Amino acid sequence: MSAAPVTFDHVWKKFRRGQRHDTLRDLIPAAVRRVARRSPAEHVDTATEFWALRDVSFEVGKGTAFGIIGPNGAGKSTTLKLLTRILRPNQGQCMVRGRIGALIEVAAGFHPDLTGRENIFLQGAVMGMRRAEISSRLSEIIEFAGVGEFIDTPVKRYSSGMNARLGFSIAAHLEPDVLIIDEVLSVGDAAFQRRCVERMSAFRDQGVTIVFVSHDLQAIGNLCHRALYLKRESRHIGPTQEVVGAYLRDSAPVPSAASGTTIELAAGVLRDSEGREISSVAPGAQVAVRVTCDVHQPCRDLTFGMIVYRSTDNLIVYEGNVTSDAMGFDGSRPGRQFIDYLFTANLIRGHYHVECYALHTPTHTYLSRLSPATMFSVNADETCRGIAELSLRARVAAPAVV
Amino acid sequence: MVQEQRDFRELLYQMTRRDLVLRYKQTVMGFGWAIFMPLVNTIIFSIVFVRVAKLDVGVPYPIYAYSGLLAWSFFAGSLRFALTSLSANVNLVAKVYFPREIFPFSAVIVSAVDFAVGAVILVGMMIYYRIPVHPAIAFLPVVIVVQILFTAGIALLLAMANLFYRDVKYLFEVVITVWMFATNVLYPITGVGGTLGTLLSLNPMSPIIDAYRAILLRGELPAPMPFLLTTAIAIPIFALSWVLFHRSEFQFAENV
Repeated sequence: MSAAPVTFDHVWKKFRRGQRHDTLRDLIPAAVRRVARRSPAEHVDTATEFWALRDVSFEVGKGTAFGIIGPNGAGKSTTLKLLTRILRPNQGQCMVRGRIGALIEVAAGFHPDLTGRENIFLQGAVMGMRRAEISSRLSEIIEFAGVGEFIDTPVKRYSSGMNARLGFSIAAHLEPDVLIIDEVLSVGDAAFQRRCVERMSAFRDQGVTIVFVSHDLQAIGNLCHRALYLKRESRHIGPTQEVVGAYLRDSAPVPSAASGTTIELAAGVLRDSEGREISSVAPGAQVAVRVTCDVHQPCRDLTFGMIVYRSTDNLIVYEGNVTSDAMGFDGSRPGRQFIDYLFTANLIRGHYHVECYALHTPTHTYLSRLSPATMFSVNADETCRGIAELSLRARVAAPAVV
Repeated sequence: MVQEQRDFRELLYQMTRRDLVLRYKQTVMGFGWAIFMPLVNTIIFSIVFVRVAKLDVGVPYPIYAYSGLLAWSFFAGSLRFALTSLSANVNLVAKVYFPREIFPFSAVIVSAVDFAVGAVILVGMMIYYRIPVHPAIAFLPVVIVVQILFTAGIALLLAMANLFYRDVKYLFEVVITVWMFATNVLYPITGVGGTLGTLLSLNPMSPIIDAYRAILLRGELPAPMPFLLTTAIAIPIFALSWVLFHRSEFQFAENV
């Protein structure tokens, strides 16, 4: 009914758990036993079956990129295999219109004894390209992969990076209508990864529909407009920013305080300048992380520090600290105090979390670390990218006086 | 549909090419093997049936044996190769979608190339024994097509069976050996009477091998009844196997 290039309509998929009889030698005695015991076969089956996907639906519009994230075993790869028609759903419908380019196992069709050139034709055919088509792009493919001088060497002599680069390069020259990508960017060096991302963005802008599975939340955020967060019991679909946030909240570790017996930081709360508890922040806002600080043994010469991470890739955005003397902390008597870590959130749109710690300055030993003390998201329009809010303004400058 | 057919042909071509190139690269003799095995067997059995136990087959025994062995190698070689074609390409079967028939079919085509190479020796032997070419040779393509249909049908079944049950290949070696001795590859089986004789006359491979000899060595058309019976078996086997293969295709990825 709908004309979306990719439709996943109430799809269910189950698998069998456990060892299957994969030799006749095992099968025959098992079959004889089953007959002898008269145990109904269905009974055996239901106990060992499990649903990898339950009632999953989504649509991807033409020329848009769709991200799929989730923990291991949530059904991400199963979803991709259904899209590429390797598997069939038990219930529901899975439709992909047009030519599919799958970057799942980019080098799956390679034969180690064939040369790079021979493998390009073979893998190209596996992906649905014709000889003439491959011949006309051969030099482009070789150049993109950067394996020029080794093209007539058997691929068994290639490094794993070269292998993957050649595989990606073939797929990247397929001109698909729908591109399905699974975690391929983890191979290759930094320069090649950058070219891959550029290539995928170019595909999207040319109107190619992209389905992208990755654990690299930053890459998902950069490429995809919408995303699906798959987990065993439920799922979350929507704008990437929101979905990534939901995933990060679910997979955040329980705040753990690696604390000694001297001092203990706990229960971090984010507050705005008026003291209200908040979880999202506007760029440039003054905020504070308030933590409780229990002093168990008298102590002095401490340093209180804070680290802000970007949650999607654990990049350290900022780390800073203040000495106990400078902040007027008195640790001479056991008891509870509250500490506010005040900072200006000069950050752009994204998800962040904060770690707080207390350090014994002379010995440089951590007395307590609280991670994450709090998590928050910065909501802003999508006009800026990067990490820091540098508050760009532009104007026409007054002509210089000569 | 048309698009899919064209992709299918392209991939079949590339897969077959891959297997031929590999064979040529991996073995010193390359296609020489296609000639070597039937030739060695021809020499051995020529000694056995000419010098040890005399056997009258109406034509010089070496050419009788070689023609039988050549056609049989095409059959058995296709099956042996097709049997492991899916299980040896698990990587592709589990990770990329395309019609899985490609694998057993390309196994049959690769063996057909061996068959063509081996046929050069047969032509040489026909010249040596001064066996004239008869107009009946026009019927040769029909025999080849029937053999290919029968072979491809069984190849599909075996490839599938070995994917689901990995010990099928051991069973296959036993069956194919027994089958060869139940076929008129090295000696005529028409003389066998009784229940065994009836059983042997149901073997679809014997009329095919006999048809090659009739056309090439005796210069006559194959005996109609046995050949028609074989054709009547080969076509439905091929059709049913393909349907069965196509239907269980989507389970392959889950079972490897």
